[in-house]
Amino acid sequence: MANIQQISITHLSFTYQHDTNTVLHDINVSAPLNSIIGIIGNHNAGKTTLCRVLAGIIPNMMGGDLLGDVHIGNLSPTKDWSVLNRQTDFVLQDPNSQLSGLADTVADEIAFDLLNHGVDETTIQRRVADVAAQMQLTAQLQQSPSSLSGGQLQRLAIATAIVTKPGILILDDPTSEMDPQGRADFFNWLATIKDTTIFIVSNEIDDLCEIADRLWVLVDGELVRKGTSLEVINQLNPEWQIGTPKVYQLAKLMYWSLGADLFPVNINQLRGCVHDQHSN
Amino acid sequence: MKENGIENKGNRFNMWKIHLSVATVTLIPAAVGINYVAKAFAEGLKLPLWLGSLGTYLASMLAGPTAGAISGFINNIIYGLTLSPVSTVYSITSIAIGIVVGVLFNRGWFSNAKRVFVSAILIALTSAIISTPLNVIFWGGQTGIPWGDALFATMIGNHINIWIASFTDEFVLDILDKVVVAYIAFFIYRQLPQRMINYFKDNQ
Amino acid sequence: MEIRDNSLSNIAKIRWYNLIDPVTKLLVALFLTMLSFVFTNLYFEVSLVLISFVLLLLSRLSSATINAVYFCLFLIVTMILIQGLFYSGNVHPLFSIMNITFYREGALYAVTMSARILIIIFAIGFFMSTTTISENAKYLEAIGLPYKLVYLLMSVCYILPQIQQNMKKIQFAERARGINPQKTVAQKVRSILPILIPLIIKTFDQSINRSITLQLRGFDSPERTLATPKYHYVRARFNHYLLSFLTIFLIGCKLWQIFSRFL
Repeated sequence: MANIQQISITHLSFTYQHDTNTVLHDINVSAPLNSIIGIIGNHNAGKTTLCRVLAGIIPNMMGGDLLGDVHIGNLSPTKDWSVLNRQTDFVLQDPNSQLSGLADTVADEIAFDLLNHGVDETTIQRRVADVAAQMQLTAQLQQSPSSLSGGQLQRLAIATAIVTKPGILILDDPTSEMDPQGRADFFNWLATIKDTTIFIVSNEIDDLCEIADRLWVLVDGELVRKGTSLEVINQLNPEWQIGTPKVYQLAKLMYWSLGADLFPVNINQLRGCVHDQHSN
Repeated sequence: MKENGIENKGNRFNMWKIHLSVATVTLIPAAVGINYVAKAFAEGLKLPLWLGSLGTYLASMLAGPTAGAISGFINNIIYGLTLSPVSTVYSITSIAIGIVVGVLFNRGWFSNAKRVFVSAILIALTSAIISTPLNVIFWGGQTGIPWGDALFATMIGNHINIWIASFTDEFVLDILDKVVVAYIAFFIYRQLPQRMINYFKDNQ
Repeated sequence: MEIRDNSLSNIAKIRWYNLIDPVTKLLVALFLTMLSFVFTNLYFEVSLVLISFVLLLLSRLSSATINAVYFCLFLIVTMILIQGLFYSGNVHPLFSIMNITFYREGALYAVTMSARILIIIFAIGFFMSTTTISENAKYLEAIGLPYKLVYLLMSVCYILPQIQQNMKKIQFAERARGINPQKTVAQKVRSILPILIPLIIKTFDQSINRSITLQLRGFDSPERTLATPKYHYVRARFNHYLLSFLTIFLIGCKLWQIFSRFL
């Protein structure tokens, strides 16, 4: 069952301890490794819980009734947690909780994971500088983390996660406090990452459709749609009340279809579509 | 998990290695913070109470007597280092409070309002018995709370033994404080979400 | 370019007290305190107060220390009053005002205790104003304290300002909602519960999240690089042994003083 090149989730159900509501309900899905998977859904749909299962927080730190099987490559977050944890990084919803709480400067905060893993000082210096540049935090390196704005704090949280060069990156709503420019920069940066399996929970449906290889839609703990963003957005049930990208709304209004009742969901598709319309 | 490999080379502090889970390690600072806030509230409202052990009570209830004792100890050490150096010595009292609350809670003595009252009296007794010698050594028997000290002065003025006078001064203040804190802790614990209680219970 | 500030070249100016390690500073505080307990001669106590005060003046007199003195002032004053009037060993009157006699023995006893308190405040003030949280954290880790314990101690220092912030926000929200001034203790206690409960739940939630993050971020990993101390300290280990030995010796003296009274 464990395909080395696949993420596979089979019959995954989960209920938190001392709780009667099933948070995740019989989820079956697979995707190739090193792809970007966008997870969307409304409040309390089970997005954060799914992330916790993928990161092994459930059942290693939070108990409950976990059924089914999850494999990322040949590793299982349940059984091989300590090995998997070395390759995985998680950005929590609340960036404040992401911080070690024990760093005087942004630079020390970013270095925390590397120190824990016994990386040598020269490598630490280089990686910290590198990651800070990617997250536009170079000017803040000597500041205290508590002096940062919400958006900067979220970028710091991401920086602490990517500094270890994880093979698997789980991002739980990483842009909620960023301004539009910061968010755009973040998604542009995310698209450039190679050789990393990325799970990203976000409400920024426009941005997700630009970069995600796959979208998974959760409604009340059930995985109701999975596939490319083009397939998923075109098959959304209005009852789920999930937002659609502006490109899609516009294309639908203008009847710019890609054929077979499929409307474009990102700029590239739209461009192709409008181009076709013109050449007709 | 990664519990079995903390031995650093040349570790001279192995005797300190009480098993602490990561959850307890992050709970204790929170408990200390709550002590601090509760104390600030009591001072802000000019209550004749300290309330400064609320976090210690909650830590004991959530994660057991050891966590409570450490919270109490660290609370007084940090408070002593930053605000009032002499309160450092009362860390012994705080350790005892943490242990007694944790043991009473585990034995079910925080399960209903009546039992909480009995617990509170036991906690106040423990606190007063341990604090009295400290008061005598450092302050000649006073507690620093005006109306308690007025009582103390009256008793000393009437040639009552200093130990009895000091114990009375401390116990009168303790009984009120510990009863109120016990009820607040009892009430708050019941408001905590079940997942929170489980998390600390599972990760001890 | 050094990004992480842990090299000596980045420190502008090294003062004399930077050459003494934090543990030695704490042991000095302990040693002075024990000295004041063993030798209760008034002149000796006063000179100890002066020594610790000079120590503080030669380093930095921070406002925290002044606050601590202020904090104890009420107690010191009432202590002198109560003991001067009612101390059980009172024999020689010092002065009398309207039939109330103030005695020498009690006053002396109270002054000795006050001196002891001032010594503790000044000696700890010296430790506090000449070290920083990160310096202490690095040093404790470097001398072999498990990182978990270092984290525990230091995060308390970091969490207090955070909690104060949360408290201000909630107080502000509550004030906006409007709370009537309360009169009885029970009413007052009840009035703080609506503020206290959300604050406590939020604080505990943050500690749950933090404990998860720390585990995900490899906290407590056996491979952790031990921190290097911030300064190069002079004779740290020798100082620790010497001061520990002297302090233990003084504790022994004190115990002997107490027990010999019963012999």
